[in-house]
Amino acid sequence: MPIHYPRAMLRAHRLHPMELWGPPHVERHEGSRHFQAYTCDIVVKAMSFIRSGGLGASKAILVPHTCDALQGMGSVLGDFLDPDQRVLTLYLPRGRRGSDHEFLQSELRRLATTLVEVSGYEPSRADWDEAFEAEDAADRALADLYQRRDRLAISDRDFYTVVRSREYLTAEQFCQQAAALPEGDPPERGVGLMISGIVAEPALFDQIEAMGAHIAGDDLACGFRRVYSVSAQADPFERAAYRLLTSPADPTCGTPIQARVETLEARMRALGARGLLIYDPKFCEPELFDVPLLRKHLGACGFPVLHVEFEMGDRLPHQTLSRIEAFVETLS
Amino acid sequence: MSGIAAIGIDAGSTTCKLVAVDPDGAIMSSVLEPTEPRVELQVQRMLDAIRAKQGADSSVPTIATGYGRKLIKEATRNLTEITCHARGVFRDLGRAGTLIDIGGQDSKVIQIGPDGRPIDFMMNDKCAAGTGRFLEYTAARLGVSVPELGARALCTAREEPISSTCTVFAESEIISLIARGAEPDAILRGLHRSLVGRVVSMARSVGVVAPLMLSGGVAKNEAVRKMIAEATVEEVVLPGEPQLMGAYGAALLGIS
Amino acid sequence: MTRLEALPHYVESNRFEHFVNYELLGKTALRVQRWRDQWKIARRRPRPDSALNPPLRSVVHMKEIMSRHYLEGRYAAGVRKVAWVTSGAPTEPLQALGYFLVYPENHAALCGVRRKAQSIAEEAEHAGWSRDICSYARTDIGAMISGKTPAGRLPRPDVLVCCTNICQTVLHWYRVLADYFECPLVLIDTPFLYGEANDHEVAYVKRQIEDMICVAEEIAGKSLDETRFREVMTNARRGAELWLEVLNRSQQRPAPMTAFDGFIHMGPIVDMRGEAVTVAYYERLIAELDERIERGIGAIKEERYRVLWDNLPIWFKIGEFSKWLAERGVNVVASTYTFAWGELAPMIDPTQPLDSMARVYLHPILNRSTGHKLDAMKRMVDEFQLDGVILHSDRSCKPYSLGQIDQRDRLVKTLGVPALLLEADHNDPRDYSDEQGSNRLEAFIEMMEPRA
Repeated sequence: MPIHYPRAMLRAHRLHPMELWGPPHVERHEGSRHFQAYTCDIVVKAMSFIRSGGLGASKAILVPHTCDALQGMGSVLGDFLDPDQRVLTLYLPRGRRGSDHEFLQSELRRLATTLVEVSGYEPSRADWDEAFEAEDAADRALADLYQRRDRLAISDRDFYTVVRSREYLTAEQFCQQAAALPEGDPPERGVGLMISGIVAEPALFDQIEAMGAHIAGDDLACGFRRVYSVSAQADPFERAAYRLLTSPADPTCGTPIQARVETLEARMRALGARGLLIYDPKFCEPELFDVPLLRKHLGACGFPVLHVEFEMGDRLPHQTLSRIEAFVETLS
Repeated sequence: MSGIAAIGIDAGSTTCKLVAVDPDGAIMSSVLEPTEPRVELQVQRMLDAIRAKQGADSSVPTIATGYGRKLIKEATRNLTEITCHARGVFRDLGRAGTLIDIGGQDSKVIQIGPDGRPIDFMMNDKCAAGTGRFLEYTAARLGVSVPELGARALCTAREEPISSTCTVFAESEIISLIARGAEPDAILRGLHRSLVGRVVSMARSVGVVAPLMLSGGVAKNEAVRKMIAEATVEEVVLPGEPQLMGAYGAALLGIS
Repeated sequence: MTRLEALPHYVESNRFEHFVNYELLGKTALRVQRWRDQWKIARRRPRPDSALNPPLRSVVHMKEIMSRHYLEGRYAAGVRKVAWVTSGAPTEPLQALGYFLVYPENHAALCGVRRKAQSIAEEAEHAGWSRDICSYARTDIGAMISGKTPAGRLPRPDVLVCCTNICQTVLHWYRVLADYFECPLVLIDTPFLYGEANDHEVAYVKRQIEDMICVAEEIAGKSLDETRFREVMTNARRGAELWLEVLNRSQQRPAPMTAFDGFIHMGPIVDMRGEAVTVAYYERLIAELDERIERGIGAIKEERYRVLWDNLPIWFKIGEFSKWLAERGVNVVASTYTFAWGELAPMIDPTQPLDSMARVYLHPILNRSTGHKLDAMKRMVDEFQLDGVILHSDRSCKPYSLGQIDQRDRLVKTLGVPALLLEADHNDPRDYSDEQGSNRLEAFIEMMEPRA
């Protein structure tokens, strides 16, 4: 489950992660037998998917403590539903202090002991090194993709399809995909937008393109918020904790608002974005709290902000699209 | 001396029902009318009529249920639809099991115990679209009347999935579908599926114990019946008069 | 204009104002008001038409204590250091350092009880905060930006202390406060306990409490006095123990106090934990409850059904619910919510203040698993001999509410206890429908009938 987790650690234990962000096409019904109507789609739909056997032969469900909704999901799964998979949890500290680093290292050590039970495999020093090397390469490839965005001859839809392929591909497959993208002038671009939020489906990018706009950069949980910095500490837990605790600004990680505003402003200027589109799944409290202050502070810097909410599904409601279109018109 | 042992009144949000029973609990007389704005006056008129017809006086126990139950001053007692529907359906079908009642304002799933009393129940959540009103409201967008809804939904094999969970979002979704030229019947089919999906998920929460029984106005909708049967893979049974079950149960509770 | 200038209602007082308006005039006026209330109670005639027995006499003392607290708040800024803290924050060191504590959640609840919450929350909504965020947060943010409050005036914070043991919402909320007040935000992050607490979790919380003390000492310009700290801890433990005793008095039949009374009487243990006045108040309350028990007087006149309330109260409905349910013979005798401030009393150890605080602040029911909460409810059904459970599905409080559907299911299926999921919100009347709510409650009462 989203958002942040120690990839290299899973790999060292010979486990491969497949991420569940929804999935958007699954009905809420089965999940709504366990969660109230005011629970977000990511949790309810994932629950539907899990309960209807969608996980197949997977060995475990890792639920990082991203928000109160995922906390509830991890707890209900483990306490009441007895799924075929082992339910693993990971508490992610909301600070960036010495105590947070220390805690996260211990928390990862605890997780590692359960991973050994799940996989039946105790990684050697060589396994850890190999895992970090591979995953760091993929992390670098992702960062590099963002660096090269301006020189890639692909649409936003294709760009984000590759970015999000990290959710299911192995590190090597991802690196290959990223390296294979054609260089050249990007397609006709139009008004540049910065998009913020948790997750956006590919169809949205087509629509935005049709409106005469493009994504200059993102602040999405499924995108830029996971451009991690790599490091080379000797201790694998220290190294994994460092990666998670130095990730870009993210409200679910407790980033102060001022820091978010400053990063967003700097990136928007550098990338030539003219406005910020905040695109949130319904009922996402961590995102909702910051919206008025982002609007206020970024507005003061000359960046208009549009906030829209959506329900995950097959298609985007026209109301939402009309609002985005009107926003693009005001920016052009 | 008349044969009436009790009268049950179900003052619902869409329709108003009266049932008179004899001492053995058999229906002697019943009336069903669309609910008028002044439900208390309407019920009084219906009561007077049924009493006159059966030669009964006001000493006959009268039990009221439904949303307007508190307004019925003549009622000896008032009880919720949960207890009344359970009793009515239990008497009519003679079986314990799971009852789904889809009304105009609320839909509910009631687990009926072996003595005809509700063991557990669940109702739709406040903001969600799992009621008859949902169909009515969204169908109005498509210009289809309520009685023909079910047949229209069944006359096509195509289905436009409706994923929105709240009526307002669903309406917006329908507008988008119409704008894209989707077939109205296929939208209707999708709407029914969405309603049934919610109701069945509620039923599963309480636990489906066969047989699955249906009451309330929406039980008359054949598409709803068929889709519930498909979704639960259970036999779906209907009482003789699904819409009268609340009033009937109320009357039965008046005897005991 | 700086951000603080945009909040003109946060004015500073001086020692003179504090002394005259609070110490001298305010305290006296409140005492006089209490005498008048006591005199009224003494002259009160029995009300045969009410389904409730007369309210507890102690309530006038609580009113005085709480009013005094809010009154001092008006004049605290500039005189004492002020900390705004979450309801589950480790406040004992702050108290020992002489901080005046403001509990925004309690303030929001006060707005709710006075039925002012919606209009204040709308101030926040107009400023862009979504209706989908917690109504406490909306109420307080609305009060902060508009200055509207039934408490007269709140003092501006010198420091914010946010502890995540009740939810993550508070962290997002306090980041907004920090942005407005431009003051330090101390985070006490308490890992959610999916099972039992691990050592590294306790160590993490302890270290953060130590760090908090350093920050608080620096702001206060003095260091923590060990003796005073121990004294506060002793009071905190005693207060929590007494509060637990108060609640457990309702195991008696008939129960001398309802959970609705409990929601009101919990004020001191939430806002003034660690103070001697809290200890004295609960001692007084217990004496009155024991007197009621001895004379066989229940909170309601005819106790036919005994019920548990899960989750926060619906603040704007407390009075109505308590009356409506009493008229139907329902006594809500216990609640998981009020217990949260008492059940950890045995963990508080004044001789090992930091270690025990780390444990205590990790273990509130809201920081524990959905399975643990179910076990707690089951235990209460047994200990309080309950006939049913009302689970308030609180739209604003996800940590408390997520899991209730399965908890309700287990209560019904394993204990055979009727249980109702009641959709509402703790502070926003727009999220509760009277008609639907009372219909469900009536059906729930009908289901308990064979148990009476």
